[in-house]
Formats: sequence, structure tokens, C-alpha cells
Amino acid sequence: MTGDGATERKDYVLEGFAVPEQLDAVHTLLAEAAGDHPELDPMDVMLFETAVIEIANNVVEYGRPEGEVRWKFTIRVREDEIEAELDDTGQTFTPAQGKGMPGEDAEGGRGLPLAEAVLDKIEFDRLGDTNHWRMVRRLGQTPPI
Amino acid sequence: MNFEETDQGTHVVLTPEGKFNLVAAPPLKARIDDLVAEGKARLIVDLHAVDFIDSSGLGALIGGLKAARQQGGDLRIAAAGAQVKAVLKLTNLDRILAPYETVEEALHDW
Repeated sequence: MTGDGATERKDYVLEGFAVPEQLDAVHTLLAEAAGDHPELDPMDVMLFETAVIEIANNVVEYGRPEGEVRWKFTIRVREDEIEAELDDTGQTFTPAQGKGMPGEDAEGGRGLPLAEAVLDKIEFDRLGDTNHWRMVRRLGQTPPI
Repeated sequence: MNFEETDQGTHVVLTPEGKFNLVAAPPLKARIDDLVAEGKARLIVDLHAVDFIDSSGLGALIGGLKAARQQGGDLRIAAAGAQVKAVLKLTNLDRILAPYETVEEALHDW
């Protein structure tokens, strides 16, 4: 078995409202993807989950109109990376990427820097009336911790 | 998320469980603020039953730490799991919120 073309690639998809009660469903989606791929290093899964939830949190907290924003997650596990795409119908905005970790005393502002710290790629685009995030973590690398 | 609270006289142990996230963080932080206002500023957050923390949970711990220290106390964390330890390290918060392995260790000089 070379594995070429033999591995069925599945999209793990979640659609719904971007509300706090739905965050558990995002965890469940990631757990489903990880459960189907026992070859994944638990550290990769854990750090990827941390990043995806931080971006999801931002949509829940800042997406407007509050409670009415819809989102769609798509998770893909590939041989060398795990990818999440998140589309949401919230208002347009410009994420403050690349600002680095805030100081020790700060009580907020760590979400996006934390996601950036554990992802190899994090991309944001406004596509029509939708915000689009793409998050990628390469697999099998030495964890950064 | 629920959390248990045990008042040991010299200190109070708070034991959240499950996901310490943007849903769970505000009520725990509010309880910490109440305890500190009552003069109970030596606090241990026992994290053994927390399987996931996000930046909101971290914010609650930092806010609680600052509140406790302002009243001459401290907030210490114990029994953190792998994800919590990883996130503390990635955010550099392990410098001011050093995770103790057990609640007993966290109590060493109280």
C-alpha cells in the first residue's frame, strides 16, 4: 500500500449560529476528526483545537448582529497538515494580526496571538458578505512547547 | 461549567471542571472577586478536572491573581493538565502562574 489515493479524505462540517452554546459543537467536530485519524499526534490535535476555539471565540464575542451571526466550519485532515476553514456572516472587520503576546498583567488580548503561535498559517479574507478564516497546522513537527 | 468551592480556613480551593472557556470564566472570576472582597485572598484553583482552557479562562486567572495580590494574598493553580500547561507556556503566563503539581504543593508556605 502506498496510500496514494487510498485514503478517503473527508470534510468535517459544522453549520449553525455563532453563539456560546455552540462552542461545544466545535470541540465535538474536532474530536470526530481526530477520532477518525488515530495517527494524529495528540499534541497537534490539542494545539490545533486551542487555535480554532480562539478564532471561534472571536466570532462569538465580536460578531454582529449578536446572536444572529451564522458560521460554517470545515475541518480537513491531510497527510501532512490539519486545516480548518471558518466562514461567518458577521460584520466586516480587520483582525489585529501579528501584534504578539500581551504582557503578563493583561486580562485579555491573548486569543489571536495564541492562535498564531500554534498555527503555521492563519489567513483572513472578506469574501463578499462573509468573513473567511483559514487555519493550518503542519503535522509531525516538534511542538513549540 | 460548575465549580466546587472548599473553604479550608487558611485558604479556599476552587475546582472548576470541563472547559474553562468564555462561558465558564466570568462566573468563576466573579466568585474570586467576591471571596477576595470577603478577605479570603489565599486562593487555589485546582485544575485537575479542566480538560481545556482558552484565553478567557487565562484572563480570569490573571484577573483573580491580581485581585488576590492587591489584598495581600495570592492565587495559585494546581494539577493542570497537558493543554493547560501548554497554553500557559505559550502565553508566557507560567512565569507568574507557575503550575503546582498538587494542591498540597501549592500550599507549601501557607
